[in-house]
Amino acid sequence: MLKGKLKFIIAIAVIALAVSYLVYGGVKDTMVYYLTVKELKGRVPSVYGERVRVSGHVVPGSIKHGDDGSLRFSITDGGGDIDVAYSGIVPDIFKDDVEAVVEGEYTRDNVFVADVLLAKCPTKYESTEALYESGAEGKGVNAY
Amino acid sequence: MVETGKVSVILAFAISIYVVIASVYGARTGKSDFVRSARNGILAICFLLVIATAALLHALINLDFSLKYVALNTSTDLPVIYRITSLWAGQAGSLLLWALILSIYSALVVLDTRRRSRLLMPYVVAVLAAISVFFTYIIGFVENPFETLPVTPAEGRGLNPILQNAYMAIHPVTLYLGYVGVSVPFAFGMGALLSGQLGDEWIKYSRKWTLFAWTFLSLGLLLGARWAYLELGWGGYWAWDPVENAAFMPWLAATAFVHSVMIQEKKGMLKKWNMALIILTFFLAIFGTFITRSGVISSVHSFAQSDIGPLFLGFIAFILLFSFAMFLYRIRDLESENRFDSILSRESAFIFNNLLFLGAAFAVFLGTIFPIMSEALTGNKILVGSPYFNRVNVPIALVLIFLMGVGPLISWRKASRENLMKNFLVPVIIGAVTACALFALGVRDVYALFSYALCAFVAATVFTEFFRGVSVRSGRGENPALAFVRLVSRNKRRYGGYIVHIGVVLIVIGITSSSVFVTERQATLTEGQSVELGAYTLTYRGLEQYTNAAKNATVANLDGYKNGKPIGTVSPEKNVYKYEGNREINQETEVALRSTFADDLYVILMSYGQDGTATIRVMVNPMVSWIWAGGVVLLAGAIVTMWPGGRKEREEVFVRYTLHGGDSTARVQ
Repeated sequence: MLKGKLKFIIAIAVIALAVSYLVYGGVKDTMVYYLTVKELKGRVPSVYGERVRVSGHVVPGSIKHGDDGSLRFSITDGGGDIDVAYSGIVPDIFKDDVEAVVEGEYTRDNVFVADVLLAKCPTKYESTEALYESGAEGKGVNAY
Repeated sequence: MVETGKVSVILAFAISIYVVIASVYGARTGKSDFVRSARNGILAICFLLVIATAALLHALINLDFSLKYVALNTSTDLPVIYRITSLWAGQAGSLLLWALILSIYSALVVLDTRRRSRLLMPYVVAVLAAISVFFTYIIGFVENPFETLPVTPAEGRGLNPILQNAYMAIHPVTLYLGYVGVSVPFAFGMGALLSGQLGDEWIKYSRKWTLFAWTFLSLGLLLGARWAYLELGWGGYWAWDPVENAAFMPWLAATAFVHSVMIQEKKGMLKKWNMALIILTFFLAIFGTFITRSGVISSVHSFAQSDIGPLFLGFIAFILLFSFAMFLYRIRDLESENRFDSILSRESAFIFNNLLFLGAAFAVFLGTIFPIMSEALTGNKILVGSPYFNRVNVPIALVLIFLMGVGPLISWRKASRENLMKNFLVPVIIGAVTACALFALGVRDVYALFSYALCAFVAATVFTEFFRGVSVRSGRGENPALAFVRLVSRNKRRYGGYIVHIGVVLIVIGITSSSVFVTERQATLTEGQSVELGAYTLTYRGLEQYTNAAKNATVANLDGYKNGKPIGTVSPEKNVYKYEGNREINQETEVALRSTFADDLYVILMSYGQDGTATIRVMVNPMVSWIWAGGVVLLAGAIVTMWPGGRKEREEVFVRYTLHGGDSTARVQ
């Protein structure tokens, strides 16, 4: 009986170790620093060549579409702004002023080359204040 | 109407408190009047929340913009159907829906157990009411859907256009039916701990309700995936987004529970384990609601605007502390009646299944909260993305699929050499042959080969089971079709479970094929130019524009050919919504999708130029339809499993099989 129990304990330990190993390896190989624009600038030059994720607001008027579907724009967080070059699927809600998240590398010519672009869905995480602040934007909202 | 709604919610809150107190007091003092009045209280809460929801729906349908919730989530141009679905588009409405579903479930529990479980039920009722106290408090006092605006605006902000989609209309409700459904087995588990009635009763009800909740969670996840696939225009269906993970984690824990609960039913083992699992499942469901609704994790800089975050955290902490305290208090009554005999047995297959599901849940949980955790511990916000989740979960999933094939055929207690040979020889050969055949056909991806081989193995084991059952019956002169129907209808749980497994196999095949063999190409085309991808050729015929009531659409017309044969026009669109309230979306992408069981042609209009050129992205996603088809099979299997009745007949079948089959290891039951 004891032998049976021991076998079980070993089997369970093997599973636990395997899962821990997968988690550990996964975290180690895929972890990415999540920075604000300001933090990114603060880490120059060590950040060059390192994969990072950066978030900030899209600078109004900075979005430029290339003929081949590529995209250039700038993001800011009040602590400066960076230029982003991106090619790929653009989320529908991406536009001026929206909060964007980009993942990729900051290159030595100070362009952030991104291969992931996410934009925050404003309705889903609606802010209670947004209604009041959005003033000029929405029809009728001026009434508040 | 608005006042009625407001008052109803507050009354529901007050009655919830009363029910908790009356039910516990009645049970402890043996005053059955109180117990009865508590049960009626549950019905009253349900009635009141139905009224409150009706009041909010009334306001939404009639566009009563004096309500902040209505002004935020609807607009005059919104069709009535989406005014209704706006009920769950925002925070306050979703929480009201949570409370409503909980109250309906609680009422069903009360009606279902009217004359049974006298000792257990008062505590179950009290726990359900205690959860209701929390949610009615939030919708009554913190995130009130009936909050009014100082000035009534002329127009609302409208519903996000990507939420204006049939799947989005039903997906959240489905998911909520599952999410909230987990509360019921939790209440039974806690009721058992509080009352000390740790016999079979709570397990029976918990199993039933967990299956129900599990089915809705599964459907909700699949519908959400399909919505993301059709509407978000990125060609995928799952991105390991925290909000997706939020629903996936309770699903993992619930899946573990529906498996391990069988061991408790049949062998009286794993009592502690099951109790811990059900607590964990409920915790993950509430945690999921918290992630989804508070936005703490998805957000970059504490976007968390809502006041409900700390309240939710408090509630979660309370649940964990209280339930584990009760668990420790009763731990001696949760001793197993049997013990494990061998590591090669069905019991241990279930144990490994459970550990792996929990391992996956843990890995997903860790990945989801990683940004918060790393920031708290090191000051750096570090996150792990889809590569992490795939790396960890794919190997776990493969082992789980393997166990899915092993579980049904390995014998209880201790598998003998004969048992293993007899049951597994053919399926193992089929799995190996599948892998070799695919390798010969040029499949070189190791994970894909494993996945297909394991799927073939599982399908073969399930088929073996059906074949054996049918041939035993038809050996007695029954026609095979009838034999099949009777076999399934008289052993609903067992064969329903197998059908669910077949559904899972189809889903796994779809996920494997579409994630490993996806091909894509992007091209900027001028009129007359073509792009080729795999068997498909698309020839660009130019842009077209049209306008309807809601939007201005730009369509890229492409002639499609597969292997040279015309397949009709493929026309991806970009829409610009006319109504300003919807301008938080600049352009909405409407993908062109041509779906077959072999592959999906998925075409996105990326951008278009003034000169009439169009940039398109073409994707060929193999076998995505198998995922949706698997979902239908899974649902069918779950319905078979839950279909009521037939218990007596099943026992009779069991006896006959045993006599007829002669082989005790292969018998049904």
